[in-house]
Amino acid sequence: MKKIDIKFILNGEPVELTVAPNHTALRVIREQLDLTGAKEGCGAGECGACTIIVDGLAVNSCLMLAPELDGKNVLTVEGLAHDGKLTDVQQAFIDHVALQCGYCTPGFIMSTTAFLEENKKPTREEIEIALSGNLCRCTGYKRIIEAVEDVVAKRGGK
Amino acid sequence: MREFEYVAPKTVKEVINLLASYKEKATVLAGGTDVVVRLRDEIIEPEFVVDIKHVDELKGIKFDKSSGLFVGALATMHEIENDKNVKEFYPYYADACGHVGSKQVRNKATSVGNLCTASPLGDSLTPMFCLDAIVVIEGPKGKREVPVREFITFVRKTVLERDELVLGIKMPYIEGLKGIYTKNARRHEVDLSNIVATICKVNDEYRIAYGSVAPTPIRLVKTEEFLKGKKIDDKVIEEAENILESEISPISDLRATKEYRISVSKSILKNSLKALNN
Ligand code: FES
Ligand code: FES
Repeated sequence: MKKIDIKFILNGEPVELTVAPNHTALRVIREQLDLTGAKEGCGAGECGACTIIVDGLAVNSCLMLAPELDGKNVLTVEGLAHDGKLTDVQQAFIDHVALQCGYCTPGFIMSTTAFLEENKKPTREEIEIALSGNLCRCTGYKRIIEAVEDVVAKRGGK
Repeated sequence: MREFEYVAPKTVKEVINLLASYKEKATVLAGGTDVVVRLRDEIIEPEFVVDIKHVDELKGIKFDKSSGLFVGALATMHEIENDKNVKEFYPYYADACGHVGSKQVRNKATSVGNLCTASPLGDSLTPMFCLDAIVVIEGPKGKREVPVREFITFVRKTVLERDELVLGIKMPYIEGLKGIYTKNARRHEVDLSNIVATICKVNDEYRIAYGSVAPTPIRLVKTEEFLKGKKIDDKVIEEAENILESEISPISDLRATKEYRISVSKSILKNSLKALNN
């Protein structure tokens, strides 16, 4: 099997890498690049724990083959904070205690981050729909939705 | 996931040449939301994965009233559900694409991929059936066009040859056509459908397409014929429901029983007919 050379932007920095085509983007990010924020839950596009942002859109990295990263602009949860300062989305999840075990959290944060770029004044229902591809076994979702609503309010959307 | 060679051609010609030489050893990759799961589960074990996402000719959505809508093979559900023309002239199709999987899935999955997967419950397919969409295919011998009702032949089976590629689908623009898309599932978002349907009305004629009630999505031609020109009242609806029942053959599976699917199919018909005649 021929390995593939790819180049892409990861969290603002250019990366060059040789990948096995039968590895997923998730596996490469976690095991070759040691960024373990994105998690594997189901590995089949159901749970959203592996969500990353590619060219501005939230996608399941478990459904992406590694070579598909070539030429893309990729953001993982590790790329959000700058100089030790968390983004408002990350901070809101902490302030609202919108997590328990935390396994789903990076996925929720990436979905939220992409969604709020696309819809700056979402209703609660729109938030729920946008996050319906992220599953959480612990929180019951209420605090997660509240955290997102808080970000919207603080950004002046409401 | 088994090992395979990954190739990413840039033109339709190259794709077809590759498919012609690899034949059944190749799998075409577009959005990947179905293919990658099947690779992972080793349901398919291709020697070559041909990623078509770098073929610019396959991108985009075009519309004008005389030629209708053209949805390129790489148009994602996200692009379709947000397309200005689709929203205005084919709102039920926008709706259908907006109900596929999760947001993350819609950002990658394509409607043409949904068609080629040929699942009986493909969320974005019933609008194509209502409009008698035309599937535009290219192969080594050139282009051909196949009506969508002939394209899908059985569960996950289509008339596409191993060396052919779907370039996109054409859907005519029909003045005055109104349509309603309905999805019934256990959970409002993300879930697979128990029943999907699109019901359209043009003048006093109806076009009725259901998914998940037979091995392929189907048009309920007898029900359509019965309803033609009729004034919709409770009695007509009841008769139409009975004809509908004779035309569908749903199965019981882990998501719903046969009886439940029949009952839901009838409700969808009733609600859509009422809404279309309001
Ligand atoms: S691990 Fe990707 S969606 Fe569950
Ligand atoms: S906090 Fe445990 S899965 Fe969400």
